Amino acid sequence: MTALTSHLKLLEAESIHIFREAAAQFRAPVLLYSIGKDSTVLLHLARKAFWPAKPPFPLLHVDTTWKFQDMIAFRDRTVSEMGLDLIVHTNHDGLAKNINPFDHPPSVYTDIMKTQALRQALDAGGFDAAFGGARRDEEASRAKERVFSFRASGHSWDPRLQRPEMWQLLNGRLGKDETVRVFPLSNWTEADVWRYITLEELDVVPLYFAKERLTVERDGQILMADDERMRLLPGEEPRLRKIRFRTLGCYPLTAAIESDAIRLDEVVTETLEARVSERAGRLIDHDQAGAMEMKKREGYF
Amino acid sequence: MNMAALSEAQSFQPAVHPDDKSEAMLRLLTCGSVDDGKSTLIGRLLWDAAGVTDDQRAAILHASHARAVNGERIDFSLLLDGLVAEREQGITIDIAWRYFETERRRFVIIDSPGHEQYTRNMATGASHADIAILLVDARHGVKRQTRRHAAICNLVGIKKVILAVNKMDQIDWSEERYRAIESDFRGIAGNFSFSDIVSIPVAALTGANVVARSVEMPWYDGPTLLEYLESVEARTEPLDAPFRMPVQLVLRASNDFRGYAGTVTSGTIRVGDRVVDARSGLGATLVRIATMDGDLESASSGDAVTLVLDTDLDISRGAVLTETQRRPTNADVLEARLVWLSEKPFDPEAGYLLRSATDLTPVTSMSVSALIDFETLASAQAHDCGMNDIADCRILLGRSTALDLFAELPLTGNFVLVNAIDGATVAGGVITWVQTGAAAVGDNVLVLDRARLSGLCADLGDSPDDRAEYERRAQEVAILLRSAGVPVLIDTDR
Repeated sequence: MTALTSHLKLLEAESIHIFREAAAQFRAPVLLYSIGKDSTVLLHLARKAFWPAKPPFPLLHVDTTWKFQDMIAFRDRTVSEMGLDLIVHTNHDGLAKNINPFDHPPSVYTDIMKTQALRQALDAGGFDAAFGGARRDEEASRAKERVFSFRASGHSWDPRLQRPEMWQLLNGRLGKDETVRVFPLSNWTEADVWRYITLEELDVVPLYFAKERLTVERDGQILMADDERMRLLPGEEPRLRKIRFRTLGCYPLTAAIESDAIRLDEVVTETLEARVSERAGRLIDHDQAGAMEMKKREGYF
Repeated sequence: MNMAALSEAQSFQPAVHPDDKSEAMLRLLTCGSVDDGKSTLIGRLLWDAAGVTDDQRAAILHASHARAVNGERIDFSLLLDGLVAEREQGITIDIAWRYFETERRRFVIIDSPGHEQYTRNMATGASHADIAILLVDARHGVKRQTRRHAAICNLVGIKKVILAVNKMDQIDWSEERYRAIESDFRGIAGNFSFSDIVSIPVAALTGANVVARSVEMPWYDGPTLLEYLESVEARTEPLDAPFRMPVQLVLRASNDFRGYAGTVTSGTIRVGDRVVDARSGLGATLVRIATMDGDLESASSGDAVTLVLDTDLDISRGAVLTETQRRPTNADVLEARLVWLSEKPFDPEAGYLLRSATDLTPVTSMSVSALIDFETLASAQAHDCGMNDIADCRILLGRSTALDLFAELPLTGNFVLVNAIDGATVAGGVITWVQTGAAAVGDNVLVLDRARLSGLCADLGDSPDDRAEYERRAQEVAILLRSAGVPVLIDTDR
């Protein structure tokens, strides 16, 4: 393993500090594990923060049932190798109503299968704090977020009433019915995440690396036909393209990029030279102006 | 991953040797009064220094056209004002964090709101910055809110300030006017302990002296804003600072492992050194610095580590491990300068908690002695303080805790005040004076504990919700008693 740069070492130490502050102050924390590169770094930092003890909280994955198969396989392998507790939650009401990314607009689908599902899981577990892998460099409303992000009852976020957060002091004292989202990766950039994964030699989901995959092109975006549920439009013919993903989510809503990057260093180089932001590949964020902020107000992490 | 691949991964930007950029990022605050052009300046900096991706550029061009506030010009502020309300109203409400790299340096820009009502958000941003850009509109010069922001930058410990005199295009690039504003500000800055003040005339809208050198102001021969930011030295800690590590939590694992987890806030510690718990005065020898990547021989300021000692000091979260010689004060009375952040003004009868490094200590009594006047920047005697005020105060604690002076060791000399009932952060402060033993709990202090409140809380058990409710009732009782003149301490039994 190569030594971390001083920049990454500082980011790592800051994240560990945040994990420990939250674990010390909250009664029942949980780590929102969404399997992607950010969650991979988040989980690694959680293990470092409490080593040689195990992280004193379970992992929670909100499974829409539309995740890439490779993601689920990676999740199960990671959890079993590390001997961690994993809670998988699906919104069964939504499932019973057949809410899916083909028949429903992204905003409806996301609200029911992700936002509502997350709220159900947090309430069911009685969790008062949830770690998330969100970074401030991802999106404009995320850039406004505190490290300890307080949510009123119903998990709603009021961006006009954020708690002051001065110096290294993280005040985790909750008011009545308040819960908190904790973001240890707040100050990391996408480039930092990849550099860290490289230097720490962390395993990531194979979908980040280029490979011939069955795809269709739709509205200028490349989508992967990950299983037989992929609905094709008239005239669409899936064909093999060499693609990879910059960000991972539900396969019908996550656009791929054509790429030849098959090694980690090639992925890092390609990412750093990219001329578009990573969220350009997230179809759910383009639904309307301020889409992310709206989702956050409603309880999306 | 093989080593060849790693070295390739690190050589992604050929123009600069990786070592030149290995230092920590510069944390840069922008502040100043509303409409002086903070978001525009930063947007311009990002735009010209390539911190903007193509899809963001396209979205900004599209939105600028829709809003057309600047006629045909690009509305750079849209790069930062990320909230719907901000975009609708064309103002900045909360701080925005923007990360970018030039060939020479990594930056995070913390863009703060100018409106007085959002000063608390500016204070949050300032406390995380190494250096501040204080913006002034060349047409209006230094305003009250400029002075307030300068005072807050000074309070939270910023030493380096850039005075950016903006909108020079609006005053025909007048050197005379610029020099007058600069001289005005240097006069004001005499009230503060800034170590470095640099002044730059800019026009954010045209980009003059932001990244590109202005052709309109040949009389200015100093650096452009970006040139200065790429070369200025970030905050550094003195080499011989005393060792401090506030304990965040005690880690236990199999094989009798017991370690104190925390981040070193100053100084260096080595295996074999003696360390002392600042409150009890008990000492032990450091036998191991444990991390998941292997044990370390030493740990320094900024390192998040776990310390294993040769004897059990019986300490927990809130303790500060320190070197044997230069220790913090085990204090129960302190004086501080603070910025009040809550919409509810200071109330001498309310219940407050002092949140220092990792400790949370009940405040027995608190009084305000002076306020800063933002016209003259002088201190004036006062007993009240409210939102956005900077006040000097005296605080008595219900028990002692390890504290330093902010001017000497900022991370063990700062604190926030917490409202005991709703948990809100009501003020952020820096310690200017501490003393031991002055406020010892005497016979006249009434301690509210489970036994004393057994009737009122008879319906409450031991569940987390019940404990929270117990604490809420105890705080309410304390407020009534304090208003009747009875000094009160709450035993939260957590």
